[in-house]
Formats: sequence, structure tokens, C-alpha cells
Amino acid sequence: MTTLMNNKTQYPSMDDAHLAQQARTEPEAFAELYHRHLTSVFRYHLAHTGNTKDAEDLTSQTFMAALEGIDSYRGTGPYIAWLMGIASRKRLRYFRENRLEVPLDAALQIPTPSLPTDKAAFQRLQLDQILGALKHLSQDRAEALILCFFSELSFTEAGLVLGKSEAAVKMLISRGLQDLRTRTSLVLEVDYE
Amino acid sequence: MNKDILNQLPAEEQNAASKLFSAAETLKVSPTFRWDLETQLMEKYKTKRQPARGWYTKFAMNVGWASLAVGAVLLLSWMIRSLVPHISAATGTTPTPAISFEADVRVGNRCQGPLAVAHNYSVALTNQDKTGFVTLDEQQTIGELRSLAWSPNGKQLAIVGNTTGTGNIYLTDSTGGPPQPVLANSELGYLMDVAWSRDGKQLLTWSLQNNTVVYVMNTDGTGLAEFPLGMQLFGAPQFTPDSESIIFYGADSTSAGLFEVSLDTMQTRMISSLVEDESNYAWSPDGTRLAYIEMDRDLVKARLIVDEFEAGSKTVLATLPILKSSYSIPDSANLSWSPDGTSLIFDLGRSITDRAIYLVHVDGTGLIKLADSVYAPTLSADGDCLAYISNKQVFLLDLTSTTATPLLLADLPTGRSIADYRLDKLQWGVEISP
Repeated sequence: MTTLMNNKTQYPSMDDAHLAQQARTEPEAFAELYHRHLTSVFRYHLAHTGNTKDAEDLTSQTFMAALEGIDSYRGTGPYIAWLMGIASRKRLRYFRENRLEVPLDAALQIPTPSLPTDKAAFQRLQLDQILGALKHLSQDRAEALILCFFSELSFTEAGLVLGKSEAAVKMLISRGLQDLRTRTSLVLEVDYE
Repeated sequence: MNKDILNQLPAEEQNAASKLFSAAETLKVSPTFRWDLETQLMEKYKTKRQPARGWYTKFAMNVGWASLAVGAVLLLSWMIRSLVPHISAATGTTPTPAISFEADVRVGNRCQGPLAVAHNYSVALTNQDKTGFVTLDEQQTIGELRSLAWSPNGKQLAIVGNTTGTGNIYLTDSTGGPPQPVLANSELGYLMDVAWSRDGKQLLTWSLQNNTVVYVMNTDGTGLAEFPLGMQLFGAPQFTPDSESIIFYGADSTSAGLFEVSLDTMQTRMISSLVEDESNYAWSPDGTRLAYIEMDRDLVKARLIVDEFEAGSKTVLATLPILKSSYSIPDSANLSWSPDGTSLIFDLGRSITDRAIYLVHVDGTGLIKLADSVYAPTLSADGDCLAYISNKQVFLLDLTSTTATPLLLADLPTGRSIADYRLDKLQWGVEISP
């Protein structure tokens, strides 16, 4: 069965909504959705928790819940918005139950072979500062930034997750970026050469 | 990196944004985790699809659940019938049937004027006896509906629709004739909003592809002119009453909020940095006052401000707590004035379709919560009727009575179903003084 999950090209041109319909009866279709959105969900949780172990745990919970509830996805909105809605609820439950937040740990310990050590260190510093600064933004601005920049949702999709209009999301992003620049001026304004 | 997002940001924000994307891209899923989760998911998939019990067990369980569900529905419907629908407000007196109100509405003695509704990609007007809606776009020529606005005399409705990336503006009259294009297949891009000048002679619009300019044109489609803003526009530009400036919800390189830009000098002025939504500001019918809602996150309050625009004096008419949930504050929207300029209405809530409607008297005598679990409020020309949407139906509320029950006007037009887009809006055609 696991080999099915590795077959990424069976539905190359099918959109998410149709795949989700197929996924009710075809594991291959669910596998394709999993491959398409795993990184978005993982980055979302890692940006919030700053902790790889918890991010992996929440990512597992998110996809398990998505599989359990795939029959309830009606195709009336983008699948990614539906999936990130589940991720958001899992995160909220996590923070209700685990008040303690731990700093960013081994997210960057997976080596990038082509990257010089000093650049990798700079990246680590940059990410540490950004994730640290995100925790000090108002939560809806941080959430909008994470959905759009870490999970790469469109403004419309992020609006569906947040229950806000596209324009309101743009405003949250604009204000969030301004706040973030203030808090991480060195990192966000200076180019690494 | 999502280039679409990057391209929609102003140049001065793109550097920070691309750094943010780059930082996010360094977060990698471990191959071990990817494999483990794949395996778990497929195991779960197998379990989910296997029948866990014999058919007779499942049948018995289904019958049991169905019985419980029927019981719950009966109990719920009894409870709902025993309560007043929607109304939570004004007085504690017993509601009375709105028979006379309904009759007055149907024969046109009350709630006069055409009521336009936008739902998904359909736009419709109430029929003559206000028993339903007549869809204006039976041929589906409007395309992707983005905005609609009544002319200041309440006799023409401007509609923005987009087809395959080209923006169109249509006009129709209050009798519901077929929409006629005044700007067709324009090369302006995907048009977002439309607004009228106070004299009813010009239209204002903007496009998603270039949100640092606005376009002004005559209502017959001639004289299209482009005006650079020098900043980013997020939504709902409106002419000032003298048509010499526009106000809009947008952002420059350092701040975001409600701005005024002169169309002559391009001089920019921030009106408020705390306005957070594109439907949170509205001109009074006489054009002397601008009302807007500020969301003060520090004080955790929403403030309704009335700005004597020329004099520059501001009055806080009402404040509301905006209790934070785990990560957001509620939105306010659909702010509008009563036709006589004595009151304002708006909705407030966390969900787009589940909000509370408030009415505020401009003389400062109070803020009244009119209804719960509703949205998209609009006032009739005579100021007697509030229309709103609740549960895919349009209701009318008699504001002259403190004991009225809402009158069901009609279901929302079915329209075309759109996967990732919602435009549920009501707007009453109201004549304002020139």
C-alpha cells in the first residue's frame, strides 16, 4: 500500500477539488493530495510551534483528520483552505493544551549540501529572528503571514481560513510585514552576499 | 515562492516578503517523517474503508442514530418555534405578527425602492410586490461579479463583472432591465469595485493588476482617465462629495488604513490608521460627514467615528468591545447611513455569514443591537426597513416598531455556485440630496 503513496504522477493535471472527490474511494488520490500539501502543512505548524517534533505531530494529526473527514469536504471552497482550517484547529488545541512554547530547534539541521556553512548559519539566524518576531505580532497578522508565506496560500485562500475578505488579508499582510520589518530590521532589510 | 503574492505587494514590501519566502523555504520535511506518515495514512485508509461490523449491526446502529436525530430535530424545531427568530434587541415586550407590515411592504407603502442583491456571481432586484428576486443576468453575461453600487438618485445600478480577465462595467435601471455595458472588455485588467460621483456623472474603479492607480470615467463610458495614487489600494475607493479627491482603504510604505488622495495634486492624507476593512466607511447623505469604524487593538475596542470632514472635528459615537479569540478580533463591515442621516448601521462578527447588526443614533442617544446571526444590512429609502441576510434568506425588519418580527422577503437567488468566492451583499436604491 505504501507504494501507492509514492506514485506522484498519476493525477498530474487534476485539480484538488476533483482529487478530493476521488480520494473518498481511491487511496492514490488521497496520496496525491498528501504530496501536494505536506510541506505547506508542516511549515505552518513549524512556524507556529518552532519545534520540529511538535510540528510533525500536528502535521500527522492534520492529515489523519483530513483522511477521516474527506467525505465531508464538499468542494465548495479550495481544498487547501479546508485542509489549513483543520491545521488551524489542531494548532489551537495544541496551544490550549501546551502553554509552553519551545524555541526553534532542529528544523534546519537537515543539511543543505550546496550551502556554505556561514550562509547556513545566516539562514538559521534569519529564521530564528523571523519566527521569534512572529510571536510578538498580533496573532491574526502572524497567522496571515504564516498562511501566505510559509504555507503559500493565496490571499483568497488565506481569507477563507481566517474568515476574512481578500482585502482584509492584504491589510493584515501589509501591517504584518511592517511590524516584522521593525522587529527584524537587520534580517529583512540586509541582503546576504 | 508564490510570485502571485509577491507581485501583489508594493515594491517597498517585496524585499521583506521575498526574504520571508526564502526563510520559509529553508524549512524542510524530513524524509523519514514523510515516509512514516505516508505509511500511517495508508494503514488508516485501509481501516477506514474496511467494514468494521456486520451489516445487521450497522443497520441497527443506523436506525438508532436516525431515531436520535429525528428526536433531536423535533425538539429543536419546537424550541425554535417557541423563540423569536433573530431578534434580540430593543425591548422585552412580546413580539406581534407583522401582518400589516407585510401588507404595506407588498403594496409598496413601506420599504420603497429597489433592493439589489449580489449572491455568488448573480445580481438580482426585488420584484414589484417584493415577493421575490428577479435575476438581472439570466444570460450570464456579467461574468465574475465583484461589486455593485446604486447611483446617487437611486435609479441606476452599476455592476462590475469580469470575463476571462477583462473588466466590464454595466448599468441597469431600477426596473431591472438587462445590464448594458458602459466599459466592455477593457484592458484595465480584473476590475474590483465601482463607485459613483455625487452628481451621478462619473464612475470610479480600479483593477487587481495595477492597484496603485484608479480609473475615472463618465457614465456613458467616455473620458476614461487614470490617476496614480503613489500607494497601494486594497479596496472600495469612493469619491469625496466634491469629487476632487477619493478615499480608500490601502497602504503606503510605512502605514496602512483609510486614506484620502487628491485627484488634482495627488496629495495624500491618512484619515485613520485603525480602519481595517473596505466597507467600514461611508459618507453621510448630505456629504458633510464621513463615518468610519476603527478597530483599536490596544484598547480592544471598536469605535464608530463621525468625522466632520471639512471642519476636521471627530466624534466617537459608539464603542464596542472586540473580544479577542485565540488569534483574531472580529470584523466590522457594511457601514451605512440612514437616508435622513440620523443613524448608522453596521455588522460585527467573526464569521462572514454570522454577525450581529447594530444601529447607532447620530445624536448620541444610543447603540442598539438589532439582530444576531445575520449579515449584510441595508436601510430602505424611507428609513423604515432594515434588510439583511440570514441563512441564505433575505429578511425585512420594521424599524418603526419595537415589537416587530422579521418578515421573510425571499430566498437568496440561487445563482451560480462559486468554489472560492463569496459576494453576499444587499443594497437599497436610495435617492440622496444632490
